[in-house]
Amino acid sequence: MVRVKEYFGNVWKTLATTWGGMRITGKYFLQKPITVQYPDERLPIPDRYRGIHYLEQEKCINCLACARACPIDCIEMEAIRHGKELEWVSFTLDYQKCMFCELCVYPCPKDCIHMGTEFALVTYDRSELNHDLLSFRGMSREARIRMKEAEEKKKAKEAAKAAKEAAEAADSKDEKGEG
Amino acid sequence: MSILAITLSAGSLLSGAAATELQGPVMGTPGAGGNFLTRLLEWLGPPQAVPTWAIALTSVLLGVAILVTMVSLIAMWSVWMERKVSGHMQCRFGPMYAGGWHGWAQTIADGVKLLLKEDLIPKGADRALFWIAPAIVLAGIFGALAALPLSYDWYFARMDLGVFTILALGSTTTIGVVMAGWASNSKWSLYGAMREAAQVIAYEIPLGISLLCPLMTLGTFSLIDASREQATLFGWDCGLGWAVFTNPFNIAAFVIFWIAALAETKRAPFDLPEAESELVAGFMTEYSGIRWSFFFMEEYAAMFLMSVVGAVFFFGGFETPLTALMRASGSDGTLLYSLVCFGTLVLKGFAGVFLMMWLRWTLPRVRIDQVMTMGYKYLTPLALLCVLLTATWEFARHLVMG
Repeated sequence: MVRVKEYFGNVWKTLATTWGGMRITGKYFLQKPITVQYPDERLPIPDRYRGIHYLEQEKCINCLACARACPIDCIEMEAIRHGKELEWVSFTLDYQKCMFCELCVYPCPKDCIHMGTEFALVTYDRSELNHDLLSFRGMSREARIRMKEAEEKKKAKEAAKAAKEAAEAADSKDEKGEG
Repeated sequence: MSILAITLSAGSLLSGAAATELQGPVMGTPGAGGNFLTRLLEWLGPPQAVPTWAIALTSVLLGVAILVTMVSLIAMWSVWMERKVSGHMQCRFGPMYAGGWHGWAQTIADGVKLLLKEDLIPKGADRALFWIAPAIVLAGIFGALAALPLSYDWYFARMDLGVFTILALGSTTTIGVVMAGWASNSKWSLYGAMREAAQVIAYEIPLGISLLCPLMTLGTFSLIDASREQATLFGWDCGLGWAVFTNPFNIAAFVIFWIAALAETKRAPFDLPEAESELVAGFMTEYSGIRWSFFFMEEYAAMFLMSVVGAVFFFGGFETPLTALMRASGSDGTLLYSLVCFGTLVLKGFAGVFLMMWLRWTLPRVRIDQVMTMGYKYLTPLALLCVLLTATWEFARHLVMG
């Protein structure tokens, strides 16, 4: 009798558990999928996410603080200084080496290097992983204008100085002549 | 390759059809239960000079063409459906890109890929057997589908023992599978093939016995008659006199039938012959490209076939309240009526396919000894019990209702 009970118990258990499982999968079948169609839509990325860097080039003063802070020396930058203004040559970050530790972000005195939310680093060639973070090369328009203005100011100052000197010289001449 | 499959399926169609079809209706009396293709050809009015054998041959070729198209379409649609269903059951989308709308063309793309793939034959394989096995598998399922009526007046052959033909031809695919496993010269393949053989033999018994229950309720072996029988519920022509409604033990019989059908079609949780996690891909391990896809087409066509057999013998076949309504309004026998019947059957078939997919993505796979236990110790005696109870119920019904 126990055997018979066990036998039909097994039959019942099979049916009941199958139905239980089918209810679960059926529920998931009817609900909306939780995945998104990746390249078309993306899940929101948290603000503190450490993705590919971006640089606010206008602020940067080429102080090399980030490059010095980098534990694996993957940041390299080069700029030519014209007085106060910078002519940018390169600012490269090698993502073959970068470990996204964010140590480059903190020492920046101008708060101009940040970590973004972009994370896709797929390339056809490894050399393409050496990203150039510059948004422009050479000097910015504003820098040029500022430099020009400064030069003009300097010229005007010099001209004024020269004029003053000339005037002073004339004065002393006059004094001499009278004297 | 495919020519061979078509030839074999034509052979099976002929052998299936010849017994009941070619002697009588084709030659003489069209309309009186003749093959719809023959009737179509005669309706088109070929000149009297065309000999009857030519008409018969054309109708067979036409039937083969329809079958090949049907199997390909069923397989294509089912594969897409499987991927979408499994995706949504796992909270993802499944294919979404190919073709634009929800990846509808995914299977077409896959088919093109499979056609372009290299056709490999392993070094130690038995080339002839390896070559012929997928064709035999496919021909078996073509033959079984040929015995399937598509509508009340659309059928390739009017068979009084239709369900026997379907079960017999449907299980010949096992021969192809065992052949493939043996010819591949790989232990994985051989293991898969032996499991297939053991499994099919074990589940053939409960499958046949459980089908006896609705056969007793309906009193016929023919699929068309079985469907017609289920139009009336206790004398009321409402299209809902389905076997599961007229006899409660048929529900139990259906559960047994369904489990056995899952095992017959090598579907998870009984996909031991394929056994991805143990046997690489079972009997299909050494196959690639279009040959491999033949096995896949067979699997999906067999799923559809089993679903349709279940639908015909348990869930009313062509009958729904809609068909009853059409009969009541006198559109019986029109083309629209045939189309509605066809559509009903296809819908019921794919509802069954969906149920199979649902079970596949719900249940974990079972071990081979558990498969055998279930087949011999549980399903077979329970199916016999079901037959006994159904017979008792029918006897009581006939006593009460006369």
